[in-house]
Amino acid sequence: MRYVKWTLFALVALFVVGFLHYTLPQRDVVRVVSTYLERQDLNDWTRIFWANPDDQSGTLTNRDIQFIQTVDTRGRPRVYRNEDTGWSWPPYFKFDTANLQTQAEDFRSTAQAPQWVAITHYGWRNELLSIFPNAVSIRPVEGPDVRLIPWLNIVILTIMGGMALLLWRMWAQFRERTIDPALADVGEAWDRVDQRADAARGRFSRWLDSWRSKKRP
Amino acid sequence: MIALARLVVVGFVVMTIFYWLIRIYARSLRRERLEKRWEREGASGDRNAYVEAGMREYDASLRPKLILGVYIVPTAVIAVILYFINFHE
Repeated sequence: MRYVKWTLFALVALFVVGFLHYTLPQRDVVRVVSTYLERQDLNDWTRIFWANPDDQSGTLTNRDIQFIQTVDTRGRPRVYRNEDTGWSWPPYFKFDTANLQTQAEDFRSTAQAPQWVAITHYGWRNELLSIFPNAVSIRPVEGPDVRLIPWLNIVILTIMGGMALLLWRMWAQFRERTIDPALADVGEAWDRVDQRADAARGRFSRWLDSWRSKKRP
Repeated sequence: MIALARLVVVGFVVMTIFYWLIRIYARSLRRERLEKRWEREGASGDRNAYVEAGMREYDASLRPKLILGVYIVPTAVIAVILYFINFHE
């Protein structure tokens, strides 16, 4: 039973961490090599890794998608898709795909005279599934070893932690003020009804106790 | 426009759920504090009347209205994201 519990817990934790890792913004320091436009087939399950830029895109089986080809500071290729997220998930509210493509084109540079840029993106690159992270913004940086502190992620995760704490406090308050008094009433009524069935009452009270919040010192 | 309508409707429902959760929680905290204060002040007079008077005073004050920030803050955050992603170079 313990293994089942821990396996379930690990699966939930993996899902939550994976979801956040996919959705939260990350920044890469890269050099833009080129951009291209390619028609993509979108009618299998990997559709979930592409955006919904507008309402009709949900029913299309394929459409043209813009890409930004880059090379990172260690010379590895990094390719980003560039699509609007519109009003749908994830909540980047990105509508400026054409502008971003223009900027990326403007930052094109060669290995001899590199112009390093920081690309903010979300999503994963997977060659087997043919999925790409979605570029959200691009800005020039001083050099290949510039240090970027993810302030936004720090703020977002802090707020999420605060909300989890708030929900937990709410539940504790609800249990202390609403469930416990109700259970106390039930327990008293039961005691009045059958004072002689000691063994049964002991068991019932103990079962009720398992619902009560722990007494705080 | 369907996506925008969905965002508005779902957002409004979620914010309303949070508004009521926080409202109930804040009132419960206030009620508990009033009950403890009544005991600390010598437990004189009617406990219920003391607590209800305190709750009426709380409802009339600014504090419960601040919970409406649950609607304002996320809307403002969306506006800020929209600006910085699309119109700020």
